[in-house]
Amino acid sequence: MADSTKIETPARTVETVTFTINGRTATVAKGTTVLQAAHGLGITIPSFCWHPKLKPVGACRMCYVEIEKMPKLQVSCATEVTNGMVVFTESDKVKQGRRAIIEFTLLNHPLDCPTCDKGGECDLQNLTFAHGYDDSRFAFQKLRKIEAGVPSTFDDIKIGPEIVLNRNRCILCYKCVRANKEAFGEYDLGAFERGNHTEINAAPGQQVDNPFSGNLVEICPVGALTNTDWRYKIRVWLTDQKASICPFTSSGTNIQFYVERHKNRIFRTTGRRNDAIDDGWLSDVTRYGYQIIQSPDRLKTPLIKKNGKQVPATWDEALAVAAARLTEIRDKKGCVCVGGLASPSLDNASLYTFNKFMRVAMESNNVDYRTEYRRLPSSLDNPYDIAASQAFTIADIDESDVIVVIGSDLVREHPNEYLRVRKAEQFNRSKVFLLNPLSTKPSDVAALELVHKPGAEEIAISAICLAAMESGWASGVNADDLKSKTGFKKAADAAGACGLDLIEIQAVARAIAEGKKITIIAGELVTRSREREAIGAALCNLNRVFGVDGKGQMAILARHANSVGAARLGLTPDLGAGFAGALKSIWGQYPETPPQNTDAMLAAARKEELDAMILVGVNPVMIYPDREFAREALDKLDFLIACDLFETETTQLADVVLPLAGWAEYRGEYFNLEGRLQSAEPGIAPLNEARPAHQILESLAEQCGSPLFAGMDQRNAEMEKILKVDIRRPWPTGLIEVKPQPQETAPERTVALIMGDDPHHSGYLTEKAPSLVGFCGEAYAELSPELAAKLKVGAGDSVRLEAATGKIIVPVRVSEHIDNDVVFVPRNFMAAPVNSLVSRKQRVDWVKISKVSD
Amino acid sequence: MFYSPVITNASEAAKSDKLHLFRYVEDPDQVKVATYEQHGGYKAWRKALTGMSPEQVAETVKNAGLRGRGGAGFPTGLKWGFVPKNSPKPRYLVCNADESEPGTCKDRVLMERDPHAVIEGMAIAAYAIGCHVMFIYIRGEFNHSIDRMEAAMREAYAAGHLGKNLYGTGYDLEMIVHTGGGAYICGEETALLNSLEGERGMSRMRPPFPAIEGLYACPTIVNNVETLATVPHIINHGAEWYRKLGTEKSAGTKIFSLSGHVKRPGNYEVELGFNLKKFIYDPAFGNGIIGDKKLKGVIPGGASTPFLTPDMIDVGLDYESLTVKGSMLGSGAVIVFHEQTCIVWVLLKLIHFFHHESCGKCTPCREGTAWLEQIIHRIEAGEGHPGDIEAMDEVCSNILGRTICPLGDAAVMPIQSAIRLYRDEWQYHIDNHRCLVDTRFEFK
Repeated sequence: MADSTKIETPARTVETVTFTINGRTATVAKGTTVLQAAHGLGITIPSFCWHPKLKPVGACRMCYVEIEKMPKLQVSCATEVTNGMVVFTESDKVKQGRRAIIEFTLLNHPLDCPTCDKGGECDLQNLTFAHGYDDSRFAFQKLRKIEAGVPSTFDDIKIGPEIVLNRNRCILCYKCVRANKEAFGEYDLGAFERGNHTEINAAPGQQVDNPFSGNLVEICPVGALTNTDWRYKIRVWLTDQKASICPFTSSGTNIQFYVERHKNRIFRTTGRRNDAIDDGWLSDVTRYGYQIIQSPDRLKTPLIKKNGKQVPATWDEALAVAAARLTEIRDKKGCVCVGGLASPSLDNASLYTFNKFMRVAMESNNVDYRTEYRRLPSSLDNPYDIAASQAFTIADIDESDVIVVIGSDLVREHPNEYLRVRKAEQFNRSKVFLLNPLSTKPSDVAALELVHKPGAEEIAISAICLAAMESGWASGVNADDLKSKTGFKKAADAAGACGLDLIEIQAVARAIAEGKKITIIAGELVTRSREREAIGAALCNLNRVFGVDGKGQMAILARHANSVGAARLGLTPDLGAGFAGALKSIWGQYPETPPQNTDAMLAAARKEELDAMILVGVNPVMIYPDREFAREALDKLDFLIACDLFETETTQLADVVLPLAGWAEYRGEYFNLEGRLQSAEPGIAPLNEARPAHQILESLAEQCGSPLFAGMDQRNAEMEKILKVDIRRPWPTGLIEVKPQPQETAPERTVALIMGDDPHHSGYLTEKAPSLVGFCGEAYAELSPELAAKLKVGAGDSVRLEAATGKIIVPVRVSEHIDNDVVFVPRNFMAAPVNSLVSRKQRVDWVKISKVSD
Repeated sequence: MFYSPVITNASEAAKSDKLHLFRYVEDPDQVKVATYEQHGGYKAWRKALTGMSPEQVAETVKNAGLRGRGGAGFPTGLKWGFVPKNSPKPRYLVCNADESEPGTCKDRVLMERDPHAVIEGMAIAAYAIGCHVMFIYIRGEFNHSIDRMEAAMREAYAAGHLGKNLYGTGYDLEMIVHTGGGAYICGEETALLNSLEGERGMSRMRPPFPAIEGLYACPTIVNNVETLATVPHIINHGAEWYRKLGTEKSAGTKIFSLSGHVKRPGNYEVELGFNLKKFIYDPAFGNGIIGDKKLKGVIPGGASTPFLTPDMIDVGLDYESLTVKGSMLGSGAVIVFHEQTCIVWVLLKLIHFFHHESCGKCTPCREGTAWLEQIIHRIEAGEGHPGDIEAMDEVCSNILGRTICPLGDAAVMPIQSAIRLYRDEWQYHIDNHRCLVDTRFEFK
């Protein structure tokens, strides 16, 4: 291959320059703009169009400064500091320049501030107050942009499910268009017309409905873009801000709620920029997800099953019944008969309380937090968990020159990391490689996108290792060893087996070998695979072959808000001697019973070997990868307690249902995927009678006669001790055998089903957020145009998806970005339970697909 | 057949050993490659490619003192030298043929009547900067120019002047004709590059300059049609020959587009430094004002340059002399107004143009040009207010030098000069609600 594939990385500049600003001398890194340098020194330079995460554009001209030896005023956002530069930010000339810009900006701006939702937090109001005239010399009719024939109030037009545009208020800073393009890679918004007739609008025939569209509203400096969520509900100065954490993403996006205390109501969510995590961008799921907390469908009181029907009860009644039955079952047959599942989105205190409740109060090792995965490993020392426990730093993605995404539909699983990958490509020209069984975003910025056969992840990874070995990039690895461990003699064979071209595999291998700083991200398509241990082994080999740990990072990313916390707080059944020992020393006791994971618990329940289960924020019927299996298992239990926010398929089976408080209703701490501990303030007090999980479990334990903690201090002290246990596993030093998996061949007339989250949903709760339902309200089957043509279906038609275990009927969505032998169905909708099509035994879920004729 | 009839001084050029751009523009066959070759065409391209190094070509052009003919007058050879020598990226040459400045129609004549000269100049420039793909961005409304350039490009490919392994040297050069979408702003080089990339035609911030990061973020040189059409002659005749033409600092010849109230409007190639008064009144050129009226004023360099009053026109048409008089050479569009022209009306036409063509990116130009048009419109309609002139002047100074690209400056410079030079006329318009001059005029 030609040398041109070699990547040029800009050398990190440590060079500095010294300059004078308003009489102060300061030294900053070379390449810093005057505006950034001034902000760093605490000198405010006003601006409309500058945004810290976008390229400077110099459109608003508000950030003028005077620079000695330059006759004209300069825009500080785009002027780099040079040695000896003398800058004035408050000279008369600068002040006059700013005043002129404010005057220009206000010429055609409707002064409808009293009815504008931006009032109180409007950059134009604030900067006019600070820098403008108190009168206008403009004596003409203001220009109004009104669409003929479009019914509108105050010239507003709806350009997306959640966004309303008022073009007259727009001051054309272009921040929305730039963010959409530079940060999100979306082109559904653009500028039209020229001069002062220029207007921002949705692209012709399109809606602004990308998964990050809410940010456009947040960065709008005026009230031109508003979201329907917030419009005409409340004035911003009547709200308090509460710092919280997003419960839908594993990166722990920093958010803040705007809360009206007296109404005990959240009105909106905005970002709380944290450059280490989110850069201030929120996905729409993060932004509108708070609405589920205020859903009218929330469970209002505890329910107790009486004569086969669930009837409302008081907390005292419900807890008494639950405690009585649990104690009875625990004491009657011995503790193997109680099991528990908790959601990995719960906070640390709840997860830890759950662990102690199960292991101390229930004396059972039947504890798990992994409900949606197939064939769980029994202990933590398997290749999958080794790869999943690796250190990962989100911000390092920016600086990696080579980024490889393996088995992850990034935008749907990890929106923050998706934006980081885009940013790396856009700003640092990083090379991005995607290795997935289906085409995924960000394919538009990918140097190469490799789409392999479904269920061939570990073969594709092995092919990369073999290609590196064949080209001599795998120093220190024995060739024969690698061949025998991967089960392939040549890279070409492995590439052929997973349906890829050798040359593509070689390109990836070359990039990883030559990259100076590598980031390799593996995601849910790995975690959800039945063969995740084999894929984990292949990843371990990849690390060994390329020495990734020496020049970058590789990890299987956790998916849920507190998956890391759940693992670190010991919510897996078999903790190993060390971890169990630590717990025993803290608690003074540790159950001796055989540990059972989710699979084993449900299997035991089906065989009536498990009598009771307690589910905290988990809906196995909806998310367990075999719906009927989970339903039957739960149905056969003698006693089931379900704690949840809503009535679900699972709570319907329960004997006692307890209303759970959501993350916005109580203080909690969460570990993000990096292991960063973050705290979330409560936005509002729990609605109705809901209670936080840890409170419910403590009360229950007390009623069972084994109180867990003497107080919060004791709980926190215990947690602190447990978190000292290191569950990180080092990469193996040798190669691991990737157990060759018999290739499943597709049965006749079937396609591979891939399920995941819709970009506007996460899990099964977001269906309760009206805004998110506005973006996507029902399940769909995403098909390639070819497959759609073969089935003779188009938009508006429905297809029937059938498997041995069940069938669903969903509307069709034709997409250019999916392959012919794959169909994608979101798993977020109760009306279309896609987990009824999957089987925990299969690796690839082959489904029959046919047109529904009406 | 010519597409668009326009008066030129081709006959003088044919006789002169100095004028070279217009020598063959009246020959209908000049557009054909064979005729162009007979007239000595593509000799310079062959000479440069087979006998000179890229550095020698750039050095020759630099020594000739050729300055950009698009309006800014930046030394061409110097500009070529800004292309980074060691960049691994491809380089691009873009010929700016988005000729839209009101009053200017010189590039169009060259493209329609001597297209091979443009191609040859582009090829030589491309070679000088080490570029293998060159573009010509032609104003979208110039249908005839587009036809001519495309036909000429095909002929040049067929004749082996463009394509692979040119003249056996191994040098490849491809050419792409791109048509604009109809925006004046796309004549500004960074907006042109945006438009060429498929983006909205809006100027970019500088730095980085196009020579460092231009088209597709690669080193790019943008040169005017006339500039490039001059290059073959410099290569053929040498830098010394060219340097001797024109004045000391403004070397060479230039095409001036003469329009307005003159008897003989047209395109004329003259040496730089030619006397403006003579240019307007000489029978070989403007032949005086129509109706033998008195002169009121001249815009010497296209709609964006300040006015000259009759007492200022005894001046050489070159970069330096006009600057001394407070105006600019610009693109060389001399627009003449006779005594019965209302200056407010002229400015209304001009500001309407700039308002309409403002791209909408930066605030002062976007809002300011519209505001100015409203004020001038009000004055022209006889509804001017006391204080309008001062307000206008201040708005102008709030735009001048404060915008991303020169469009803002271009819009306000004629206004400011008109206020300075014809203030009594503005005042009269405001006070008396009508024009100072009798604008009734019959063509004879």
